[in-house]
Amino acid sequence: MSEPDHMSCDDFGGAAAEFSLGVLTGRERARAVAHLDDCESCREHVRQLSLTGEEMLALLPAREPPAGFESRVMDRIGVAVKPERPNWSRRMLTLAAVALAVVACVVGGWGLRGAMAPPSGVSTAQAPLREAALLTAAHRPAGKVYLYDGNPHWLYMGVDTHASSSDTVVCQLVVRGGRVIVIGSFRLDGGYGAWGSPDPVAASDVTGARITAMDGTVLASASFPTGS
Amino acid sequence: MGIPADRLPDETLLAGLGTGDADLSLAFVRRFQRVVFGVAVTVLGDPATAEDVAQQTFERAWKHAQTYDTRRGSVRAWLSTIAHNLAVDVLRARTSAPVDPQELPALLTAMTDTPERYAVAHDNAAGLRRALAALPAGQARAVAMAGIYGMTGRQIAEAEGVPLGTAKTRIRDGMEKLRSAYLREDVDDE
Repeated sequence: MSEPDHMSCDDFGGAAAEFSLGVLTGRERARAVAHLDDCESCREHVRQLSLTGEEMLALLPAREPPAGFESRVMDRIGVAVKPERPNWSRRMLTLAAVALAVVACVVGGWGLRGAMAPPSGVSTAQAPLREAALLTAAHRPAGKVYLYDGNPHWLYMGVDTHASSSDTVVCQLVVRGGRVIVIGSFRLDGGYGAWGSPDPVAASDVTGARITAMDGTVLASASFPTGS
Repeated sequence: MGIPADRLPDETLLAGLGTGDADLSLAFVRRFQRVVFGVAVTVLGDPATAEDVAQQTFERAWKHAQTYDTRRGSVRAWLSTIAHNLAVDVLRARTSAPVDPQELPALLTAMTDTPERYAVAHDNAAGLRRALAALPAGQARAVAMAGIYGMTGRQIAEAEGVPLGTAKTRIRDGMEKLRSAYLREDVDDE
């Protein structure tokens, strides 16, 4: 009963929380394990504390992983995913509509006036139009960005991140010198959205565009060749 | 055909992951990726390492899906525990301090915050959340350092500048209050 390493239930009670959280070390841990071998009530006590610790982890804030995460997980476990989603064609059609709107603007008018009406007095003259593909971190296509360098400058993007969630994202432009300008935010519905906005800088100064989650995680980015 | 995969219960999706069903596996990853990455990045701070840990978590879930026992808690808690254990292992292999004490208040605020999305998506931890919010600051910090960052009593004592006995008492008292709240919740749920 009075072996030097013997731990009573009272002694164990003082260390049970640390034991259940896995932070009890060395000799103290060895004594606790020995005590648990012989004590049903302390085992139950530890079980309850362990469950409490596990549920505490569920209180941690959820965070959006980097773009392409789910694909990398599926690759890792060797499960093939169908490359196309059922409503992909509808999305591509809408993307095409965005592109058409830009083209319409360049050749003499705005195609999607209801959805993305430009400010009045917009120039209908020929103007440089630049486009770049949006890519996720895993280099999967995630839409396109169009920069219209007329007067005023306009930016358009059609996005499909392949995510299932619906979240608000932030559009940023990267300009010469690496400066990042936040242009605005818009909502992706099931990972998809199309959006247009006045662009505060000349298209020729823009070297890249990206969309980020609200916490700053980059979901997709596009690069515009410089010097054009 | 039947119910869409994204509306199936967690346990069904986990079973599908275990058998390698593509649709169910993808739905499982989509449902839990934010939770798993959230645990990993909270513990580690570094998104790149956190992503690797999060990927390993799903790989383990895939390999050990058949060992999941509903009596041991929710799928969410099970996955969170896997992610947490992996992240703490990485943390312990580092030589730097496990946690910047300046970050703890923000973490505790995030853990005790009750935005609407939690109320809808995961409300069975509401009692635990309230109990954590009600803990004296020293106990809450000690519980978070031990329970989230895997810090020992000695590391907590050093970080907080208190005697070892005080650090241990804070962990014990804080965890006992949370356990009482968790048990009350469990009883209320039945």
